[in-house]
Amino acid sequence: MLAIYKKELRQYFNSMIGFVFLAFFLVIVGIYTWAYNLASGLGNFELTLDSIYFLFVLLIPILTMRIVAEENHQRTDQLLYTAPVSVTKIIIAKYLAVLTLFTIGVAVISVYPLILSQYGSDVRLATAYSSLIGFYLFGAACIAIGVFISSLTESQAIAAVVSFIVLLLTFLLSNITDMIPTDSVTQCTIIAVVWIAIVFLAYNSMHNVTVAASLGIIGEIVIWVVYFVKASLYESLVNNILNILAISTRYEDFSLGILNYDSIVYYVSISVLFVFLTIQTIKKKRFS
Amino acid sequence: MIEVKHLVKRYGNHVAVNDLSFTVDTGKVVGFLGPNGAGKSTTMNMITGYIAQTEGTILVDGIDTLEEPEKAKERIGYLPEIPPLYPDLRVREYLQFIAELRKVKKSDRDMVIYEIMKKTKILDVSERLIRHLSKGYKQRVGLAATMIGEPDILILDEPTVGLDPGQIIEIRELIRELSKDHTVLLSSHIMQEISAVCDEIIIINEGKVIACDTPENLTKRMMQNNGVFLLIRGSKEEIEEGLRAIPEVTDIVYDEERQEDAVGVTVYANMSADIREDIFYAMAEKKCPVIEMRQLDTSLEDAFLALTKGGSRQFAENENYKKKGEEEE
Repeated sequence: MLAIYKKELRQYFNSMIGFVFLAFFLVIVGIYTWAYNLASGLGNFELTLDSIYFLFVLLIPILTMRIVAEENHQRTDQLLYTAPVSVTKIIIAKYLAVLTLFTIGVAVISVYPLILSQYGSDVRLATAYSSLIGFYLFGAACIAIGVFISSLTESQAIAAVVSFIVLLLTFLLSNITDMIPTDSVTQCTIIAVVWIAIVFLAYNSMHNVTVAASLGIIGEIVIWVVYFVKASLYESLVNNILNILAISTRYEDFSLGILNYDSIVYYVSISVLFVFLTIQTIKKKRFS
Repeated sequence: MIEVKHLVKRYGNHVAVNDLSFTVDTGKVVGFLGPNGAGKSTTMNMITGYIAQTEGTILVDGIDTLEEPEKAKERIGYLPEIPPLYPDLRVREYLQFIAELRKVKKSDRDMVIYEIMKKTKILDVSERLIRHLSKGYKQRVGLAATMIGEPDILILDEPTVGLDPGQIIEIRELIRELSKDHTVLLSSHIMQEISAVCDEIIIINEGKVIACDTPENLTKRMMQNNGVFLLIRGSKEEIEEGLRAIPEVTDIVYDEERQEDAVGVTVYANMSADIREDIFYAMAEKKCPVIEMRQLDTSLEDAFLALTKGGSRQFAENENYKKKGEEEE
């Protein structure tokens, strides 16, 4: 496990991606810090972080695109999966290697609030560091998503583009959900349509008409019966579900200086979930 | 020792490996021979645990590869068709990574790597990035990597493909040297290569074992079938009659594709009997001119062709060939 972890880090720095990522990250954070904290004389580092977390959309795909896809592309996956190491260990090592790179970046910027506090009394260190913790956990969750997407393809470019789109969508999700009407008819219709889509996907992987059709019909009946019995259940149900998926909204707590237990658990579970999914995709590929 | 029992691999409706069973004994060099797409790489990938079989069991030194994959993998060094190298690592870094991956003790690592680099003659490129190496060096680095961690079994998938003749000989010599203290399973679609280094040959085609024997025995089996290929102008019945009259003839096989207006036919006779003259007179009597007559080669090359494509047809029990014949009729 340690071997793979070290190899990944070595590859990051042999192939420049590591340096490019760190340079890009530090330059961007530097510009924002200069603009907000130095030029405008604000003591709130959390405001700076608030404006740059959106850059995860660009930065995380750069970091994660090669991590599994490149192995698939160069056929080095044959080496890893025939070595006496389990897939679980391989993927965890890879995830930790990416995380390490990100940690280096965050470690450098975590000095900034301390530097700022040397020059003014209104620097609120507690808020600054709580938002740094949130920033870090948020990044870790995004990295897990990126690693997962990278494991689905052989091409780095596709991995990068898909990660970019997926992250962008989850970031914009809270804005999109605001536009959906919350009345129960609309919400119920959306759920009914989504259910049909899910059944189609299931049919695609099973190729069994009876199972898919019966699943679809039973599901639709249940959805609409529930609607007629108790329509109020559906009120803003879709919005609530989408809000759970919108990972960026959780970050707001941290930037207000609230170390919310839920949000920490939320980010950690997203990371664990996607690392787990990556392991499962690779294991499944062996059997198909 | 590798024991493969009733191995099956299906991709949807396509059967890549179909009920394959064979054993590779400890200390032997076994060649895995078959045309492209016969299922050689798929089988090797299953033995090494890269992909999982649909059915059947694989035992490596008695360990089931599905039940205790890590234990089984420790015993195997695998060189896939495309050597799995990281272009952005240096040769030494790469081998160090493999040594760590295969749990070589830290104190031994440098020594082990040095020994293996010496053996595979890559010491002079040890500090170069793998991306800058030539194909032959890459292959050797790949081979070096399989030897790290002292696996008892080496599985090499087409180790000489894409190399120049000089390099092929070098790699072949290396394999021969390795075979002194390893069990080697080696695949190829090139006959000479296999017969040059192997104790035993397993010929597979369309996912099935067709023959499994020593190179000498395979050639011998061919010798027993002393055959002559003929192209004769005339009707089938007359030819058959004439040929059957020759006492030494044991079997007559017709070529389905009739060439022009002639009948293609392969005649088999008892060992050591030269029937060419008899055929000539027999056909002359029937007034069926012989346009072409050719004694079948009995090289391993020919055995391979015969076994995998039904070439000179002596192994007509081969199901695939029969099926094709029926369709054509």
